[in-house]
Order: sequence, then structure tokens, then C-alpha cells
Amino acid sequence: METDKLNRIAEEKSSIGPIEKVGTGLKTVMRLENLTKKFGSFIAVNNINIEVYEGETIGLVGPNGAGKTTTIKMIAKLLRPTSGKILVLNKAGKLQALNGNDKDLVRFGFLIDQPFFYDMTAYQILRYFARSQNYQKEKINSRIDELLKLFKLFKWKHEKVNTFSKGMRQKMGIIQSILVDPQIIILDEPQTGLDPKARIEIRATIRELQKLGKTIFVASHMLHEISEVCDKIALINNGKIVAFDTIENLEKNLKEKELHCQLLYPIPHKDLESTIDRINQKLEHYANHNIEVPTPEHNHSVKYNPEEQNFTIYYDGKRESRGEILEILMSEFKSNNKIISFSQPKTSKLEQIYLEMILEDQPRDGGG
Amino acid sequence: MQLLEKNEKYEQYYLAALPVVTTYIFELKKQWKKFVIFTIMAISFVILLSHLPYALIPDNPLPDTQADYFQSGLNFIILLTIFGACFFFSGIICSEYSEKTGFITFPIINKYKLVVGKYLGALTLMIGVIAAFYIALGVLGIYWYGGPINYRYYYSFGIALLYLIAVSSFVTFFSSFMKSVNMTIVTTIMLLLIANMIIDSLVILLYPEFEPIYSLNHNSQLISYILVEDFPTKLEDRYEDLEFRNFHRRIWLTPTIEGAITIFLLYTVICLIVAAIIFKRRQL
Repeated sequence: METDKLNRIAEEKSSIGPIEKVGTGLKTVMRLENLTKKFGSFIAVNNINIEVYEGETIGLVGPNGAGKTTTIKMIAKLLRPTSGKILVLNKAGKLQALNGNDKDLVRFGFLIDQPFFYDMTAYQILRYFARSQNYQKEKINSRIDELLKLFKLFKWKHEKVNTFSKGMRQKMGIIQSILVDPQIIILDEPQTGLDPKARIEIRATIRELQKLGKTIFVASHMLHEISEVCDKIALINNGKIVAFDTIENLEKNLKEKELHCQLLYPIPHKDLESTIDRINQKLEHYANHNIEVPTPEHNHSVKYNPEEQNFTIYYDGKRESRGEILEILMSEFKSNNKIISFSQPKTSKLEQIYLEMILEDQPRDGGG
Repeated sequence: MQLLEKNEKYEQYYLAALPVVTTYIFELKKQWKKFVIFTIMAISFVILLSHLPYALIPDNPLPDTQADYFQSGLNFIILLTIFGACFFFSGIICSEYSEKTGFITFPIINKYKLVVGKYLGALTLMIGVIAAFYIALGVLGIYWYGGPINYRYYYSFGIALLYLIAVSSFVTFFSSFMKSVNMTIVTTIMLLLIANMIIDSLVILLYPEFEPIYSLNHNSQLISYILVEDFPTKLEDRYEDLEFRNFHRRIWLTPTIEGAITIFLLYTVICLIVAAIIFKRRQL
């Protein structure tokens, strides 16, 4: 009796919740609270706060060394946080700190780094993983076959994994991460080593998992690869989350309305200032005043890059404005210079956000 | 109600033991080839060292008794145990980190359960290798001297198993902090074969009266010496003093039975506890 009471108190102490997003009915399945990891004086992850709701697909995006893998390794208990908490949904529907009785947590699936596996066949390894995690014995074989077929590895079912190519091993990694039908799936760089076709298959698989209501947490440095399948993106750099929102909201905040104008010859140095001022005045009408132009010294909508002899113009994004801006520029440069290209940036909008948000931070050494 | 509670409790035990059992079975499958190679090696060495010299060389006299025959045949068991333990146990912990295997693929599972499963699997296979050696030597003992097998031979087998557990725990301890399997194999073989011997020789040289009770090498002598019918009970019967000009050296023939068993158990417990602590603190 007394033990039961103590157990209840201990459980209450380590559990928080159930937690719902106000007014939405969405249940939190994972929460990172002020999560920090230091290696000596080096701060790999700096005070991260992320809340993941049931059924969401979150993309953790950042350059190499940003802190993605370190964050995921902390969730996987492969690294201990220096401070902060990781709370995960337990079977009782409450959030529970990831430090004690982990058997009560909902099922996790992990793909971290590139697993090398053991020197055994694909079937033997997957069967072992499934049995260790108490997957129903009678369903194991059909589940293994189903996933091996889905990832086109069925032919190699009884081949040793050590003979697999890098891409095939990565597929095996993804298979093992979803093998026991986990509620939360955490994938670290799932596209690594895969050819374009396989990457499309991975995205399709993620979509299938979304349909099944799985909560997915994907870390990648390839923004375009995961932006298609993610509900929210957390941009991480230098261990800090620099933005965490839906793709639409992130795009809204971005200096998305941009034009590039390439000149044939550079503008002579003596005319530079006057030319830019004149263009600025002429294009004032089309300027996008909702955005912050990354030229702090001139609060203008036009930025000239003398090395590449091109202009970046931040405008209101209207279709008709584009033509008018082109006419103004052509009249400006018709006598002593020529415009050789006038276009919108080729990179996707989200990639621009990504680049701009991480631009000010210096890249660091380290593993993800 | 009571039945329901009993069932729940049974299910809890089952779930707790499942990763250990599945890992154990997986380890048996994984190291099967190694087991076959070591077993063939063990039997081959028994035939090569304890049968062919007597069968092929007519002037080579057999030892007087079956026990003596076993005693000479068991010299190879120490080497077999050390090499076997190093090859079977070196990857128990460090390979999971260096090769990114089990701990990475399902890290939320209690890692200790995986290690326990792996340890028991490797131990079972090594016991099989040692048993094959003893069976082969036992069969040859019957072939040359007739049955039954000297009862002290079973004691020897028991001591050999304790020695195996101590050596395997020692290797597991190194595996808990070493970076790669190959490094662990090389380091532990060097330590168990060469360093141990050097340390023992130095201690004996510096303190000729001192019995190296701490040494696995010294205690492993009990495996063959236990076959001696009049096992020495007095201290002075357990060593021989060698005098050469002004040089005096004491050669220890055997440890005491209790002493050796205690040391084997101490090695096992200490190495496994320290390995568990290091393993708990080890991060990827």
C-alpha cells in the first residue's frame, strides 16, 4: 500500500500533463524545455524550446554543426543534457521526463547517424529488433516483408547487411525506425547516401506515416528535401533555434519579394552612390515597406553588389510592378551599360529564409 | 482477481527479460561462426598436443596416470581461454559505439539489458568451446587409460569456467571504454599474456617470498594443479625454491583453492561493476 502511494507520488513528480494546445485539441507528445548541451566550454545546443504536437511533422533544419544531431542524441538518451528537460508522452497520456521509467513511454523509432548494423542478414537483424521491442511475434514476418518490399530491399532479405550499399543500409535504418510501428519517429538526415529516386521514396514514406497519424521529427541540412513534408520547420544554428513556425508563417517573415538584375559592366566607382540613390528614388513606389532590407547603412530597397555587378531589389511582389521596374532599370542603363539578366532568385523562398537567418552566424566545427 | 494480478506480474517479468533473451539468442547466432572456429581449434590442439605425440612417436612414454595426462594436456587451456575471451567479449560494449549498432537503433531500451544478453550469449559460446576441449581431452584420457574419468577432472573444469568468467569480465571492462574492437583485442591479449607475466616476474624478483595472489596467471595454475592427487595444503608445498649461485628464485606451483576462487570472483565482480559505471557515463 505504502509502496503504491510512493510510486504514485514519484509518478506525479515526474509527469506533467496531459497537455493540450489551447482550443485546438492537439496533444503535446514531446517537449524540449530549455535544453542545453555543453562540451567543455563549447555550447553545442543552447537553450532549445520546442513543443511537438501529436501527428505533426517537424523539420529540424540547420547547417552542419548547428546542433541537430546533438539534440536528437539527447532525445535518444545517447547524450545527457547539461541542463533542461525532455518530456515525452507516456502510455497514460501524460508528459514524462525522459530520465527514469522509459518503459512507460510511447514507442519511439530512431534513425541516428548511419547505422552499420551487425554482420547478419537483413531479416535476422530486423527480427531481432522487432522481438527486442516486444512486437507481436505472429506479425513480425509479415511486417518485415511489407517494409522490405516498400523500400525495395525484399530481394536482399537473406543477404548480409554488411554487403549492402550505403543507400541500402540507410533504407534499412529507416525500416528499423518504423518497424515496431512507433508513435514518434525521429529521423536524423534520412536522405544521406540516397539517390534522388530513393529520396522521393523517403518523402512518400513520410507522407504515408503522416496519414497514419505518426508524429515525425526529421533533422536535415537539406531544407528543400524536407520542407515539402513538414508541417513546421525549426531552423537551428549555432545550437540555437532561430525560427520555429509553419512554412507559411516563416515565408511571411521573409524578404521573399526579390528581384535580381545583372549588369554587363560594373558601375564606375565615382557614379556608384548617385546611381543607387537615383534608382532608389525611382523604385520607391514599388518598395516593400513590410520587410527589413539587409542593408543597415541605407534603408533602401535596392542593394548593389559591386563584385558581381548586380542589383537585388526588394519590391512589393506585384506582377505588374516587375515589368515597370524592368522598364525603369532599362532606361537607367540604356546609354552606358546593359542589363543582361533580370529575374527572380532561383532558390526557393524557404531556402532564402534559411540562408538569411543563419547568415550572421559563423559556421562551426562539430557533428551536426 | 488474484490470477489477474499474477498474470500482470508474469507479463512484467516477461517484458523485462525479453530484450535480454532476444539479445542472448541473437548473440549466439551472431558469434556462431567464431564458436565453430574456436571449437575446431580447441579439438585440433587437444589431438595435436595430447594424442599425436603418443600415437606417432613410439618411444614417447605416456604420463603415469590419467590425472598426469590431463594435467599436461590442460596447459593449452589458459591460452585458449585468453584468446577466446578476447575475441568473443572485446566487442560487447565498444562495437555498439564504434559501429553504431544496437544502442543507436533502439536507444530507449535499457542498454544494460542488451549488454547482459550479449555477455551471456558470448559466455555460453565460450563455455561451449572450453567444454569441447575438456570433452576431447576426456575422451582421449579414456582411450589411453580406460575409464572412468578422474573425478578431479570435473573440478578442473569448474575452475576453468571461473577463470573464463574472470577473464571475460576483464575484457568486458576494457570494452567499456576502448574505442574499437581491434584495439580492445590487442590491449587485452597484451595485458593478459605479456604484461601479467612481466609484472609477476618483477614482483617475484623484488619480493621473492611474496605470493602473487592478485595475478590471474598465478591463480590459473589451479586449473591443472587441482588434478594432483595430494593437493598441497601447506604453504611450503605450494612452491619450489631455486638457487643458482647467489640468485634465489621462488616458483609458485599453485594457489590455494579458496584463494584462487576468491580472486576469480573478485576480478569478475570488480571488473563488471567498473564496466557498468563507465558504460553508464559513456556518451556517443
